[in-house]
Amino acid sequence: MERAAPPKLDLRGPDRAIPVLLLLGLVLLPFLAGSSGYVLQVFTHALLLATLALAWNILGASGSVSLGHAAFFGVGAYGSGLLSLKPGLSPWFTIPVGGLFAAVLAVVMGLFCRRLRGAYFALATLAFVEIPRVVTDNWEGLTRGSLGLVGLPGLPALTLGPWRVEIGSSAGASYYLVLSYAVVVVFLVALLWESNLGLALQAAREEETAAKAVGIHVDRYRFLSLLLSACLTGISGAIYVHLTRYTVPGLVYSLHFSAVPMIFAMCGGRFTILGPALAALVLYPVDQFLFHPLLPAGHEFLYGLLLILVVLFMPGGFWGALRRSP
Amino acid sequence: MTLLQLEGLGKRFGEVWALRDLNFTLEEGEIVGLVGPNGAGKTTLFNLISGRIRANTGRIIFAGQDITELEPHEVCHLGIGRTFQSSRPFPRLTAVRNVLVGRVFGRGFRFWPRPDDLETAQELLDVVGLLHKAKTPAGSLTPSEHRRLDLARALATRPRLLLLDEVAAGFSPVAVKHAVGLVRRVQERGVTLFIIDHFLNLSLRVSDRLLALDQGEKVAEGPPPEVMRNREVIRAYLGLRQEDEDH
Repeated sequence: MERAAPPKLDLRGPDRAIPVLLLLGLVLLPFLAGSSGYVLQVFTHALLLATLALAWNILGASGSVSLGHAAFFGVGAYGSGLLSLKPGLSPWFTIPVGGLFAAVLAVVMGLFCRRLRGAYFALATLAFVEIPRVVTDNWEGLTRGSLGLVGLPGLPALTLGPWRVEIGSSAGASYYLVLSYAVVVVFLVALLWESNLGLALQAAREEETAAKAVGIHVDRYRFLSLLLSACLTGISGAIYVHLTRYTVPGLVYSLHFSAVPMIFAMCGGRFTILGPALAALVLYPVDQFLFHPLLPAGHEFLYGLLLILVVLFMPGGFWGALRRSP
Repeated sequence: MTLLQLEGLGKRFGEVWALRDLNFTLEEGEIVGLVGPNGAGKTTLFNLISGRIRANTGRIIFAGQDITELEPHEVCHLGIGRTFQSSRPFPRLTAVRNVLVGRVFGRGFRFWPRPDDLETAQELLDVVGLLHKAKTPAGSLTPSEHRRLDLARALATRPRLLLLDEVAAGFSPVAVKHAVGLVRRVQERGVTLFIIDHFLNLSLRVSDRLLALDQGEKVAEGPPPEVMRNREVIRAYLGLRQEDEDH
């Protein structure tokens, strides 16, 4: 009997060498960038956006387009920011709690949007962002409303035996922290798509009626994927708020944090694991280094233009188009 | 032993009864053909049994358990598999992974794949003659290959009862011959079969009994030759109904 290959993820890039080289480059970047704090800052933010794109794409690769991930980002940011400010808890504790807050919000959103698919789901999520944003903006006793949070604690020092790394005051250490988080997210996403849960999500994306008929509890797995996506997005928001050390509702709940992860995921390839992260690591620096100096006011037009071009000419995204045909 | 029992089953769409007061029993191990003209209610009946739509009246009992209100995935877990009139493959997944989905989820959920799941999936592809296409994305298969893939995926869920919806429609005479052999092999695996077959090209050759529907109502049931001689069945197929004869 002819043996077929073991089940291959159809969500894998063309070459295993590329991720390894990329990781090596990212690890060495602080040495290559030398004393330029700006380069490091841009890549720190690019990595953070990469985690958002990866988290967004847990839903994206399951067939749902969310336009509301800023809700999870903002709740994670505010949750962690407030807990570190008033009770004065350590950000090492409040950052994961921020992720949990985002997951709780996702439970609410999941219940409201359970029956919605496609454009209806996307529009509902777009509207949904307004709920946490308005609450944050108006609950001044708790959140200080539109004044925002200032003087937040930065990322605290990490002590490992004789070594003590001041993460908050070192651009390099912050960079490595975000890089580590990004690696964890890639690992989790890859694990998800290797598991049977990933198989269920793919089947439900491809043909929901057939997926149900072969025993897949579609609603449950969709819900789980939303929780995971929201939780990771919330943690990214929490890390972000301790990196910048201030926030206002209009910043963390902005359309920017809903749209940019989606654009990166679409451009990189929705049906790939690494595509969204690669797009973030290429497009954001290009935007900052090339377009921002040229067009300070309208540099983000690049994203809009790219999205249109990709949707029209490369529906599988860059990484998807690069993949060898099976 | 009775495997499936339909008691006074009825389904209404708006003002129209797609299926009305149907009583029928399937015995374990038999092959029953479900025949009738367009709009007779055949696919509606399959959708009711598989939990895709809810009945307005009556009950569905499977292996002694009332499944009338169950969701499709729950019905599948109990051991009812189905194929679709127009096949519904998972186009971006390879053929073997299409079948693997049925194997992994058909009777519940396991988080990690098991090595023998893949072997079973390949074996089932072999049964329907698609092993050479195992690594082809399902979207690039032909319509007749889609039908067979649908069948392999349904078999992978380990059904006790399999609902085949027009599995041989549009097949060439040679392909129908193959389908007859295939249905026999499925029966030998201990699966009870309920087959929708509008053009009768499969069910007349394999069925132990036929159930004939017209306009949502049972008009005949029994051994195939007897049902095919039934005046009501002939009328329904030739388009002659009471109102036509009155003129």
